[in-house]
Order: sequence, then C-alpha cells, then structure tokens
Amino acid sequence: MTVASESRQAVLQRIRSACAGSGAELTHDYAALPRPYLQHGAMDGEARLALMTERLREYDAEVVECAPDELPAAIAAQIARSGRHVLAAPPGLPQEWLAPGCEWRVDHGLTSDQLEQTEGVVTAATCGIADSGTIVLHHTDAEGRRALTLLPDWHLCVLRASQVVETLPEYFDRCATAPALFTMIAGPSATADIEMTRIKGVHGPRFLSVVLVRDDRQARPGADRTTLSTP
Amino acid sequence: MRTAHAPEMDPRLAPPFPVAALPVLRNAQLRKNVMHATDVITAKRDRLVAEKADWQGLRDAGSAIRAHVLENLAAYLEQFEERCMAAGGVVHWATDAAEARTIILDILRQEQASEVIKIKTMTSAEIQLNPALEAAGIHAFETDLAELILQLGDDEPSHIVVPALHVNRSQVREIFARRMGLPDLADDPQTLTAAARTYLRKKFLSVPTAISGANFLIAETGGVSVVESEGNGRMCLTLPRTMITLAGIEKVLPRYRDLEVMLQVLARSATGERMSPYTSLWTGVTPGDGPQSFHVVLLDNGRSDILHRERERQTLKCIRCAACMNTCPVYRQTGGHAYGSVYPGPIGAILTPQLMKLEHAQSLPYASSLCGACYEVCPVKINIPEVLIDLRARVTDREREEQRRFFDPLYLGMRIANGVFASAWRLRAAQRMARIGLRLFTGRDGWIRRLPGFASRWTMTRDLRGVPDQSFRDWFAARENGHARTGEVKP
Repeated sequence: MTVASESRQAVLQRIRSACAGSGAELTHDYAALPRPYLQHGAMDGEARLALMTERLREYDAEVVECAPDELPAAIAAQIARSGRHVLAAPPGLPQEWLAPGCEWRVDHGLTSDQLEQTEGVVTAATCGIADSGTIVLHHTDAEGRRALTLLPDWHLCVLRASQVVETLPEYFDRCATAPALFTMIAGPSATADIEMTRIKGVHGPRFLSVVLVRDDRQARPGADRTTLSTP
Repeated sequence: MRTAHAPEMDPRLAPPFPVAALPVLRNAQLRKNVMHATDVITAKRDRLVAEKADWQGLRDAGSAIRAHVLENLAAYLEQFEERCMAAGGVVHWATDAAEARTIILDILRQEQASEVIKIKTMTSAEIQLNPALEAAGIHAFETDLAELILQLGDDEPSHIVVPALHVNRSQVREIFARRMGLPDLADDPQTLTAAARTYLRKKFLSVPTAISGANFLIAETGGVSVVESEGNGRMCLTLPRTMITLAGIEKVLPRYRDLEVMLQVLARSATGERMSPYTSLWTGVTPGDGPQSFHVVLLDNGRSDILHRERERQTLKCIRCAACMNTCPVYRQTGGHAYGSVYPGPIGAILTPQLMKLEHAQSLPYASSLCGACYEVCPVKINIPEVLIDLRARVTDREREEQRRFFDPLYLGMRIANGVFASAWRLRAAQRMARIGLRLFTGRDGWIRRLPGFASRWTMTRDLRGVPDQSFRDWFAARENGHARTGEVKP
C-alpha cells in the first residue's frame, strides 16, 4: 500500500469507528431531513420583477426593461450610454445582440491579457433570484466561460423575466440536474475589509448592468392580432 | 520575517487566554477597532435575519443536514471522492497538518511553481502552510484584501471572516505605503482598495498555480463551492493552470440542493448580506474553462477524534460564518489574537482545544461567560455552551487525574465542599464556622472586599456578600415553631 492510500484508509477508518452510519441507509435518512423553510414565494409576476429590480439597484447595478423585440436596440443603447467600444462576447451570443459600431471580441479562446484589454462584456444568464437580487450563470455558450464575466470591468447581463424566480429554493427546483459550473452574482465585487466601509470594485467587474427582457407580458397590440381579437 | 509584536497563533505555543488577553485589554485602539467592526456586522446581520420569516426553519434544516453529514461522514466522503475524480479532479487524504503540507508541496514541485496565489482559507492557516511554502522557496500571495493587509503587515488573523478587523485605515495606509512603495498613498478605504487591486492584478494574470479553501464539498456531484465578496476567489479559481483546494473533512454536503439552505444562512450570518457578491461552484475539470489540473486535499488533523464524542461532534457542523464571535461579549472585548489560534471566538474556544486533543489550549473553554448568545445566532444550531461545559469537565478531569494535582488548593477545596454539602449537619457546622470566621473580614455594610491567602483570588475581581446571621434553614425552622423573626436578613 502506498502512503497515500494508507492515509485514506486511516482517515476513513477513524471516521467509521466514531460513527455508525453506513451507505445503505443514507437515502432514507436523507429523505427524512426536516425542511421547514419557505420553498415557493407568494408574489405575482410584477411584484417579483419589481423586487428583483429593487435588489439589483441596491447593489448599484443599472437595470433597464425592454420588450423581447426591442432587445438588440436596448443592448445597443446601454452600450452607447456606457461609452464603451471594445467588448467581449461569449461564442454563443445571438448575432443580433452584437451592436453595430462596437469592436467585438468573440471568445474563441481569448487569452487573459486579451480579455483584460476589453472594456466590457455582454452575456445571457440562466436565472435571476429576486429575494436576494442574484444572477445565476451556468456558463453556457451564451454566458461564456468564467473568466469572461470576471476580467472585463463592465458586465452587461441580459435576463429574461421568465427566468426570474422569487426564492433560492425555486432556482434549485428548476435545476433538473446540477450544473458542473455556476457563478452566482449578487452585486458588483466589493469589500468591507477596511473599517467595514463597503467599497465597490475590488477584483471582479466594477459595474453591472442588467437588461430585463419582459418576455412575460402579452404581446403588444399590432404584434399579434389573432391573439388580441380572441376574447 | 515575523516582527516581535506579532501574536502567537500556534495553540501549542500560545500563552493561556487570560494572559494573552491582557495586552489587548490595555490597547484602547485595538478594542475600538474590534468593537466597531463587530457592531457593524451584528447590526446588519440582525436586520437581515429579522426580514426572513422562515429563519428558524432554515436553522433547523441547516442543523439537520450538517448533523446527518457527520453521522454518515465516511460514506459521503467516499462519494465525493468518486464523483470528483470522475470529473477529472484528484483527491488526496491528509491525516494531519504535516501530511497536508507535504502533499501540497509535492504538487507545487511537480508544477515547478515558484509563486502561488491564495484565496483566504483559515484551514491553510491551521496547517501553517505559508511558512512551509516560504521555506520551500515558493512565494505565496494572499489575494483577499484582509489577508493581504495581514501578510504585508506581518500580522495574524483575528477573525475568520474579516481577518483584519483589528486594523484601521491609517494602519493599513502605513503598511501599504511601506510594502508597496507608495509613500504618498491616501488613507481612505477607496484608495487603499484600489492600491490592492493594482498590486494583485499582475499576479492574477501571471501566476499559474492557486490554493483555495472550500465552503462546501458536494458529495452528490463532486463539486466544490467557494463564497466570497471581492472576486479574488474567482480570479484564483479561473485563471491559473493548476488549482489546489484544501478542505476539512467535515465540509461535505449530501446534495447540490442542500446549498439552498446553506447559502441562505451563510451570507446573512457572516456579513449581513442576503447573498455574498460571488458564489462559485466547480466540478473537477471543465475543458476550456479554468484550471485543467485540479487537486482536493481532504484534511483530518484531529477532526475524526471530535466525531467520537456525541455531544462534541456538533462542533464540526460549523460553516465558519463567525456570527458567534461577532456577538460574543468576550470576543468583543479581546478580539481574536487572545485565543492563540486561527479559530477565535466561541467556536474557536470549542474547536481549538479539541483539534489539539486537549493537550493544548485548555484555557479556551473558560474564555466564555456561558451567556448563550453564540448558540442563539448559530445558523446550524451548535450548542456551544453545552460543549464548553463538557470540555471544562474534561480539562478538569485531565488536570486532576493525569497531572496529579491532587493537593492543588482548588481541588482540595472542591473535595472539602463535596464532603460538606453531602450532609446537613456538616453544612450547618460549616455555615456557623464561616459566620464567625468571616466576621473579621466583613465590612460594616455587610460586604467582604478582601480575603487573605488563596481566597484573595476570588475577591481580587469581585466583592462577596457577608454570611447572614441566620441561614434559610434556621429561619424556616424558627418560623415553623411560630416565633419567626422578620424574613429580612439583618444588614
């Protein structure tokens, strides 16, 4: 036996001699654990989105709303307002989100230094949790690898109203399988290490901007007449 | 190089708590810094806990999950190991601190690393990793702002969440100005934080090896989770080529879903936030994203011994939120250094002596007033006072039996008291003797201010009520006989 596997055996042996637990009853015991906490929130759609927006603004994030068909224009407007031109994008970002007039660096293996030289990044998201104003990234192709939303100083995140849940347990409800990677973002990078004074922007992006796409609303008049004409 | 004033954080070498606390109690600036920081965090924590209608339910669930893990720890660790390795990670087991250091050094040597970036991890401080790295010629860069302040200032952590809470802005300015070569640095937190950002940015982009701790290991998936505020953690988890995570064996959670409880209670308890700015989860190695070589070192270092005792086992439920120290009336006076360990406060007072197998840090279980505030705030309901009392009993047993302090005045007195309290007539006789004997030392107002000899240790810090002329039993007997004196004891 190698030293390594000896240590493994020793540790496991010591644990086993201390506790009776065996693998066989695990599932049963686990299922019996008490869960006396709030699973699902009681808010309606509007209240949930209002809370999400309020929480994000508490973190000094910028939030704008738009209708689904206005999204490319809303992204372009946010970029223009930020005054940034050199932007990174994950490889799976929809083509129409790449606002014209910007220098787009699509991530097909950008180096950290190349990422560092961009002024911002535009990505999609997996979920929004209103209760804590959290944005969850599962790092899909439209959300990009982890470094992409870390090195640029500004993160413009597109979140759909249908992705916003009220409580953290509701997010886990939606995850049929656990992701290999996630990053939960609850406001821009911050520290309170010096005299408990909250300082924004230590190492992560210093500015977070969210475009909330109202895909929950009924289509506007003119967009879908057949639906509207039916009582 | 360690400066002369740096506190001793090795429990084997640290002085007993009352001795170590004295210089702190005389340092008004330090006490002010600690008081300010703990006031701010507890106020934020209380506000955010109050808004959570299901808080007690979350605590119950958190406590049950953690207790369940500890009862089935071996099975969950094996499951974690299997899933983590299936995802491309390498899992190492370390029985003690020395073995953990050797494993980490071996990995770094294979990587031919001369530098390593670190995320704040109290476990690495527990195994005293940085001095070992330094001795092997590997420079460790602490990247958490507080840890950076301590590293550059040759200081030691005094808190497990905000380790530099005892240092104020002008002290930080002085350290940064000196060590970063910035003589004109201003002392506002914004400027100081910006200086740290610039100082570390180059390191994040160039150092290919990183070391982290873990907040949670997920048995079901083999995933590892780290909760942080600054983004230095994400830098270390994402940019290097090789990543080493050092985690105590107790850090496992059964399933991914259990994070829904832990993440709700952790940030609220630790920093008074609904969620920390960044929560990261990764599973082994992900092609094209982050380090392509990933190691987990599972550290025992005394933890499995704690499992043996059913009442003490709950110590390992701890998720390191530090709410207990922020609220502790003792910690709030002394700060963390007096505890002579990287784990201060109430949780440190029960964890450290047990990790030391009670061979060191025996004074820590007494560093508490047993007020119970720590139990009340603990998000996983560790009954710290109960464990403290148990440990006091064990410390006492050890002293008496193993160190043969049979004739120590304290134990002699306890044995005499045992005999006296065992029979009514002996108690009555003792009371009568005390009434006569203590009259000499009792002031006119009925208080005893100073006792001679051994007993002076009691009156050194408190006054004692004189023995009343009549005991309760005498009074009661007289009353039954129908000629009670007044119920009042004569002044």
